[in-house]
Amino acid sequence: MEQSGSFFSFLLDNLTQFLSFTGFANFTVGHGIMIAVGLIFIYLAIAKEFEPMLLVPIGFGIIVGNIPFTPGYQIGVYESGSVLNYLYFGVLKGLYPPLIFLGIGAMTDFSALISNPKLMLIGAAAQLGIFGAYMLALLLGFSPQEAGAIGIIGGADGPTAIFLSSKLAPDLMGAIAISAYSYMALVPVIQPPVMKLLTTKKERLIRMKPPRQVTKLEKIMFPIIGMLLTTFIVPSGLPLLGMLFFGNLLKESTVTKRLADTAKGPLIDIVTILIGLTVGASTQATTFLTPKSVGIFALGAASFVVATFGGVMFVKILNFFLKEGNKINPLIGNAGVSAVPDSARVSQVVGLEYDKTNHLLMHAMGPNVAGVIGSAVAAGILLSFLA
Amino acid sequence: MKGKVRLFLGIATVAFGFVSASAQSVYDMRINEVMLFNKTNYIDSYGERSAWIELVNTGYNSVNVAGCYLSNDITNPRKYRIPSADPITLISQQQFLVLFADGKSTHGTLHLNFTLDSTNRFVALFAPDGKTLIDSVTIPLIDVDKSYVRLPNGKGNWQVSELATPNSTNELFEVHTSTGEKFVKFDPFGLIMAITAMSVVFTALLVLYRLFKFTAKLTQKPIRIKFSKPKHAEEEAAQQIKEEIPGEVFAAISAALYFYETEKHDQESTILTIERVSRRYSPWSSKIYGLRQIPERVVVHRK
Repeated sequence: MEQSGSFFSFLLDNLTQFLSFTGFANFTVGHGIMIAVGLIFIYLAIAKEFEPMLLVPIGFGIIVGNIPFTPGYQIGVYESGSVLNYLYFGVLKGLYPPLIFLGIGAMTDFSALISNPKLMLIGAAAQLGIFGAYMLALLLGFSPQEAGAIGIIGGADGPTAIFLSSKLAPDLMGAIAISAYSYMALVPVIQPPVMKLLTTKKERLIRMKPPRQVTKLEKIMFPIIGMLLTTFIVPSGLPLLGMLFFGNLLKESTVTKRLADTAKGPLIDIVTILIGLTVGASTQATTFLTPKSVGIFALGAASFVVATFGGVMFVKILNFFLKEGNKINPLIGNAGVSAVPDSARVSQVVGLEYDKTNHLLMHAMGPNVAGVIGSAVAAGILLSFLA
Repeated sequence: MKGKVRLFLGIATVAFGFVSASAQSVYDMRINEVMLFNKTNYIDSYGERSAWIELVNTGYNSVNVAGCYLSNDITNPRKYRIPSADPITLISQQQFLVLFADGKSTHGTLHLNFTLDSTNRFVALFAPDGKTLIDSVTIPLIDVDKSYVRLPNGKGNWQVSELATPNSTNELFEVHTSTGEKFVKFDPFGLIMAITAMSVVFTALLVLYRLFKFTAKLTQKPIRIKFSKPKHAEEEAAQQIKEEIPGEVFAAISAALYFYETEKHDQESTILTIERVSRRYSPWSSKIYGLRQIPERVVVHRK
């Protein structure tokens, strides 16, 4: 009888311990909020098709990262030796972003840029968003390193934002990455009002010359010259720029088709899955739900507005110096941010609203890919100044 | 020609290998701090005090100094060989190793077989070949318990220090401010940063723009090739190409463009994707090569 009593107390103890280990016992309001955020991301990705390739892994990652558990059992993303921690290593050490850039390079056709190289300057002007956000972040009391990492959201480039924040402000990486990807998905909502506000109807109707044919030699020379030049100016951008141009050379050389196919196919897919899931999982309620994250989100939105302003206004100024017939439609100025190809698509859609036969997509792709180079260069500068 | 190319590639590979090998190696090691007269300072594992020499790895990779030589005589570079097979000789990036100049090499790897005193005030570090001098220093006659240090570590000028810092940085007492903090000190609003960085981004893309404008001129230049064919042959060829494309094709393209521009085409709700279904042959992954060949049956016909 005594033995059966001790057995039941043993069973009860184990059951109590088990219950204390469940997610229900460790649940907090923070976990609930973050799981809701993850579900919203998944909804936006599936129902609204906002950047589904990124928002589905990130959204699911947020849910994974916010399942309540008892620490100390190598479960969470921040616990040394856990599976998620091993996968997170690639984010923490900046390993995944250059691999994504390799795939982007292998996917990108720089022809639009090579055919009209002055569009590169729009890609430079739109980086104003980065430094505008940097200045605002300093004003709000963020440290210089944190301000630099927040500023890069304005580049509208997820991998670059993760790469730079992992070096400058690892604590804020989750919030910065989520902010960057969220606003990239919201580019069709954020940019059009700014574009319309800054342009006149006459400017929106400008027709641009069709791009000229680009030779194979030019396409091969572009990644080589581009890499040499940009990395000699900003060596700290080498991991991103080197991989971007290398991927492009694999594509344009046409003799390494298998390598280019791997870079733009399975490799980038694998890395996207890992980066999305682990960045999402890094947003644990305890580290994510802070006043700083709110500040980062506000600054992220501001940086996209400033970047769009910079690109559109630069085209308007440039048009003063261009002859009639050579003028650029300022509606492609927004594409200077490197959200490829979303911001170029915005230029096309807004352009068609005013002239159904004026297709701006090809022209907007020039500043769009220049934006990728520009944001990587800007990240290199911030890294060398602030690290 | 092919042979020359191979020779060039071979030399380039060897040269590159040499450069990259020496980039992160014992050549990154420097003498960082020396104490001549140790009365109340650093104690060795035997509880004794003696003169000591601190080495620093200035590189960004671990360096093993085993096999290198230390000497207090420039004419005898191989005076003390740092023993191999002792893990203590592996120095991490930007880290230090202290060796005792007590003349008691039997006390272990870190104890040199020579001493430093008022008459022996020279220390040199040689590469494992026993000839190449990596670093050397002549110590002035300094007071007891004072050290002769390099500031900043490994690359700065030598100076006498009141406080010795064995096995740690010589910049221990300097107030460290990060580059970012220094930057913000002069630029609290980030305006200089914004202007400088935007200028650099513009410069990078402006140079790229100019280069590609120039390249476009070169590549777009019509190449004049003298054809041996007579003029009428060229015309014939052009006529032939024209004839190859039937008029119906032009009509269809024109009609499609017209409908597209006037938006008279149907709205398509589906996307048709044509994908290649054939598999590429890849011999390395072919299972057939991993299978044992079935021996052929030999049929012997007897007459």
